Amino acid sequence: MIELKIDNQTVEANEGETVLQAALRSGIEIPHFCYHPCLSVAGNCRICLVKVDGRPKLVPSCNLPVAPGMTVETDTEDVRAARRAVMQFITLNHPGDCGICDKAGECRLQDYHVRYGEEESHSREPKHHRPKFSDLSPRIVLDNERCLLCSRCVRFTREVSGSHQLGIVERGSHARVERLEGRPFDDPYSDNVIGLCPTGALLSRDFLYKSRVWYLEPVRSVCTGCARCCSVNVWRRQREWHVRALGAELNRAAYRVTPFENPAINGPWLCNKGFDLHRRMARKRALTPLIGGREATAEEAVQEAKRLFAAAGNPAVLAFAPASNEELAAFRDGLGRRVQVYTREDYHTEPGEVAEDDFLIRGDKNPASYSIRALFGNRPYAPAARHDLVVIWGERVDYHALGGAKLIHLASFEPAGETAADLLIPVSTTFERSGTFTNFEGKVNRFEKVFDKPAQVLHAGDLFGRLVP
Amino acid sequence: MKKEYWNKPALGLRERLYLLEVIRGLCITGGVFLGNMWKWLTFRKGALTAYYPEEIRSDYSPANRGRHVLTRRENGGVQCVSCNMCATVCPAYAIEILSAADFDDPCHPKSPERFEIDYSRCIFCGFCVEACPEDAIRMVKEVPDFPGFDRDAMWAGRDLLMNWRPTGDPAKQYPAASPSPVEVQP
Ligand code: SF4
Ligand code: SF4
Ligand code: SF4
Ligand code: SF4
Ligand code: FES
Repeated sequence: MIELKIDNQTVEANEGETVLQAALRSGIEIPHFCYHPCLSVAGNCRICLVKVDGRPKLVPSCNLPVAPGMTVETDTEDVRAARRAVMQFITLNHPGDCGICDKAGECRLQDYHVRYGEEESHSREPKHHRPKFSDLSPRIVLDNERCLLCSRCVRFTREVSGSHQLGIVERGSHARVERLEGRPFDDPYSDNVIGLCPTGALLSRDFLYKSRVWYLEPVRSVCTGCARCCSVNVWRRQREWHVRALGAELNRAAYRVTPFENPAINGPWLCNKGFDLHRRMARKRALTPLIGGREATAEEAVQEAKRLFAAAGNPAVLAFAPASNEELAAFRDGLGRRVQVYTREDYHTEPGEVAEDDFLIRGDKNPASYSIRALFGNRPYAPAARHDLVVIWGERVDYHALGGAKLIHLASFEPAGETAADLLIPVSTTFERSGTFTNFEGKVNRFEKVFDKPAQVLHAGDLFGRLVP
Repeated sequence: MKKEYWNKPALGLRERLYLLEVIRGLCITGGVFLGNMWKWLTFRKGALTAYYPEEIRSDYSPANRGRHVLTRRENGGVQCVSCNMCATVCPAYAIEILSAADFDDPCHPKSPERFEIDYSRCIFCGFCVEACPEDAIRMVKEVPDFPGFDRDAMWAGRDLLMNWRPTGDPAKQYPAASPSPVEVQP
């Protein structure tokens, strides 16, 4: 433990920490652009300058190791003057187009400009222009004018994702971020640089101009893309910003998905599949119960399921991939002991998708397989058992492979095949309920309800107790 | 304690007798009524009433702020850059904007695909005009003129807002617009 003084406050720091880290940990705000706790120290933006007793010049605190007895001041007049000057330089060629910038509202540059900058630029020269709105990749729009060359995105591809696909080329006011050697930026973790960028230089193509960020609010959820079960924030419209003329479906839309920082599982990162979670959830839903292809109410559907169960001699259930622990427990208690349970993996690696790597992406694409295996073992469907009723709780099942049994399908999304099940009961998605998943390492991760479920959709967890007499 | 008001009326005997004053008031109302009635019977216009919505009065004060106008660029396109400042500042949550991107026009990459103002909610405070960094929205003295049985019918969309022609604001050129409704001198 090293003791030092920051702004007349005695702060304890660990050996090897920097002054900036020690200050942030004890709640002293020092502005920083290029420093990021998960990346190496670059020390290039100079907004973090502080005054250290006994040194003639101001020192960047992100690159300054703590030393015993050090006295640091972060808010003297000369530090403030230096910050104002640094902001002048950083915004020298900045277009100042916050009005049309998706980052506005959560932009570090904008916040610091208000807090530490000056109203007017001192420069009388015309602004130097750089390429605007180019496609860094099909997923990311790059606006070089807004970039302040902090190199966070570059360091991310070198130190975290390891793809080495970005770099800064040229010098001075011509310097700009670019893909190296003209290769595509197809890093499977590329979208992380959008949140990492302290300004609006890197923007999501999918979220582009969809909404101002202050209309939205995050809800903690879990990505169901693989067995890692990363924590995500799902952004929905705030209640008071619900729209009326533009269509009520916007009020039920997930606008974007960003990482929820969870050090135990995913840290502050996600893979691109996680950033696309809301797109996968926007597939065509199963919304109305169907009895033999005929539309029915949820109540009729439950009655019909009861009837089928009463008539069945040898029922079986195929267990589902994105079922939460709570649903699986309800299933085990309500139905699981009376029927034969088979397990199944609904999702497999899609073409073009990274199968597995040593960072986040797991080869098993099913979020609940750990819990399903713990409860029911690994038991693939055996047609030889001659079941006369099969409950399919999941997706992508080939009805013909089930040997002509009567079928009850609990589905969140519209089933693909052309034949209809004898009974289709729509069930809620993870966005419409709360619960937990257990990931492949046995770590439990919680998700909250983002939207209310549609009227005729049932929670699978409530259903099982009602199916058997 | 009984509250004392600064404008407490001083009541004389007449006023305190009450009935006399009531009769005097009725005489004033009745006189106006009969006068108007006489004009009406002799085929002249009576009280200063516009028969809304068939008639719209034209003598709003020049300071009145009744209706929004979306200004245009030289090429006739909408000036608005869809920054949502107006929608954000609006205390009545009356403005809804759907944005579109067009990177082929680097001077105007973001614009409103839809721009809706709910006149059943607008309180005509003018904050949206003050908040706009682009002089893209203004208010003019005319009123929105949206009689209807349903508040859903009181939305003004982008094209309507762009084509409403102000009568007294020479600072910026507006393109000619579709004919405005009949204005009636009361
Ligand atoms: S990057 Fe930040 S400061 Fe720059 S235009 Fe966007 S919001 Fe404004
Ligand atoms: S694009 Fe963003 S993260 Fe990358 S160097 Fe520029 S400002 Fe930094
Ligand atoms: S005048 Fe006031 S209430 Fe009406 S739209 Fe503008 S900001 Fe909203
Ligand atoms: S404030 Fe002005 S430019 Fe911005 S959205 Fe409203 S009308 Fe358009
Ligand atoms: S944060 Fe220290 S120089 Fe950028």
